[in-house]
Amino acid sequence: MSQINRREFIKLAAAASSVPVLGIPSLARAGAAKAKVVVIGGGYAGATAAKYVKLGDASIDVTLIEPNKVYTSCPLSNEVIVGHRDIKTLEIGYDGLKKRGINVLHDFVVGVDRAKKTVTTKGGKTLPYDALVVSPGIDFHYTGIEGYNESMIEDIPHAYKAGPQTLLLKKQLEAMPDGGKFVIVVPKGPFRCPPGPYERASLVANYFKHHGKAKSKVIILDANDSHSKKGLFNQAWAKMYGWEKEGMGTNGMIEWVKGAEGGTITKLDAKTKTVSSDFVDVKADVLNIIPPHKAGKIAADAGLTGASGNNFEKGWCKVEPMTMASAVDPSIYVVGDSCVAGEMPLYGNPNAAFDMPKSAHIAMTQAKVAAAAIVAKVNGQAVPQPYYANTCYSVVGDDYGISVAHLYRVEGGTFKYIKEGSGVSMMTMPDKSPVPAAYRKLEAEYAVGWLRNVMADAFS
Amino acid sequence: MQKALLLSALASGLLLASSAHAELNVAGLANTCNNCHGTGGVSAGESMPSIAGLPEGYLKNIMMEWKTGKRPSANMTRLISGYSDEEIAALAAYYSKLPWMPVKQKTDAKLVKLGKKVTEKCAGCHGDTGKSEDADTPSLHGQWSQYLQLEALKYRDDAFNMPNKQMVKAAKKLSDEEIKAVAEFYASQNK
Repeated sequence: MSQINRREFIKLAAAASSVPVLGIPSLARAGAAKAKVVVIGGGYAGATAAKYVKLGDASIDVTLIEPNKVYTSCPLSNEVIVGHRDIKTLEIGYDGLKKRGINVLHDFVVGVDRAKKTVTTKGGKTLPYDALVVSPGIDFHYTGIEGYNESMIEDIPHAYKAGPQTLLLKKQLEAMPDGGKFVIVVPKGPFRCPPGPYERASLVANYFKHHGKAKSKVIILDANDSHSKKGLFNQAWAKMYGWEKEGMGTNGMIEWVKGAEGGTITKLDAKTKTVSSDFVDVKADVLNIIPPHKAGKIAADAGLTGASGNNFEKGWCKVEPMTMASAVDPSIYVVGDSCVAGEMPLYGNPNAAFDMPKSAHIAMTQAKVAAAAIVAKVNGQAVPQPYYANTCYSVVGDDYGISVAHLYRVEGGTFKYIKEGSGVSMMTMPDKSPVPAAYRKLEAEYAVGWLRNVMADAFS
Repeated sequence: MQKALLLSALASGLLLASSAHAELNVAGLANTCNNCHGTGGVSAGESMPSIAGLPEGYLKNIMMEWKTGKRPSANMTRLISGYSDEEIAALAAYYSKLPWMPVKQKTDAKLVKLGKKVTEKCAGCHGDTGKSEDADTPSLHGQWSQYLQLEALKYRDDAFNMPNKQMVKAAKKLSDEEIKAVAEFYASQNK
């Protein structure tokens, strides 16, 4: 209880009082919708927030603003790159949300006026809000690697926002000769989908095996010194792709170079697709640079991102644990990849606190918490107890899936990582014998069932 | 000043919502399950079971078995270990009160026919169509076929050492095709 601050007290007091908490005279609301909720960004987080506000209280007017008419799921898009999945299976529109009575506006938000509580769009619309959900996802920092800039992504794809970039990397992989080098440059965290680059490496190696390119290599140049599900990835790589150990020049199909030993890339020669660090120069046949991430531009423009602070607050939006409300504006809720909830884990550091990973799954539970908080606030009810969970599957080979789960709760006003309900797939059975293949196959099947459910739960 | 505010907040009970022993919000808790099990517990993914409308006793039992390590699972054993017994009981009660919504799915007529024959020996516990008749038996009619197959394979596979020995014994007698047929039969009973 020492954690409670004045702002939180005032918020709780407001939620518990019978005074109209949104500050709108009741006369102004008569005959109109009970409240107006605007959602910026229709990815997993935004779509879920819109749907669950409407499910929670159908009399709330909900508008989702999203430029694209079709959303392409990033989860499982690595399967598209290697030809295991048609990109159409990852695409979904907004008709499901429209059928629920949500206004879907295909437009682009250019400004948020927090004093007037309005949102303006490129199309010239100004929308008032009582509560605003900001879920723009991520933007990339194209600075930091000398010789690299945004104009190069048609030649050097990131494929870290699913769609045309995914198909571009697929095309380059298919055109790569046997014996070539597929190089993945991984940025310093936090980045979305923490296991994503390593899942990609696994599936590319799998592609090499099945397409007569077994002499080829996947080289991961990582700005970090460890990574998500590392033990499980290494185990899978040893089993399927000849993985030996960390570092350059090993015999396996996958090489991983950590930040401290040359993985931090600082320079690019775009003509020859050669990337360099203080230690190494690597000439790639296919070059996949994943740039560092920051919160979507509109979040920064609205003044919701941290201007300073540690690596994890700068450029990201801090939120209140009970509600996902922005730490700087109680009428705005930031959900999904653009928020930072908790402290970022430093992989490999056993004493590190655990931040919520930037995954579709956690984004959706954040959105559900925000939606419940908004519905409660509109109806003058107490803040409901929030729960956050993550499940993140990686498909790393034929019939071979692995996963990580995370549970978070809020205790004493702060996020709490629940170790007992979290963790990765078994490395061995309890008696230390190897994990039977049937377990890995099940998780590969669950990954697909998970995808269908998150897509339906968010968009249908 | 802050201390005074805090004291008055305590006195008025306002801190309840953020205290360590927060009131159980079962709908909020269930929302996290629904990411994988579908909105309202009705699954849209073939490998994931619908859980809305399953009997309370069955749901509670299966979650407690995961938690105590009696029932193996590739993932549920991990997640459920973070839930208190009280939360597990509340979730079981919550989902059992929701309507069972059989999913419409394509099934193979030939396999359904074979499945009808094979499941005659299952009817003692699962009824003629897989409709649950007691609190400890799950509903199978209109459950996803793929999920039923994966689950039946777990019962047959020694690697999983599943707890219900009667089910293990029954599954061991089934061929791959018969397992598929059983799943297709129950899946087709979606009324």
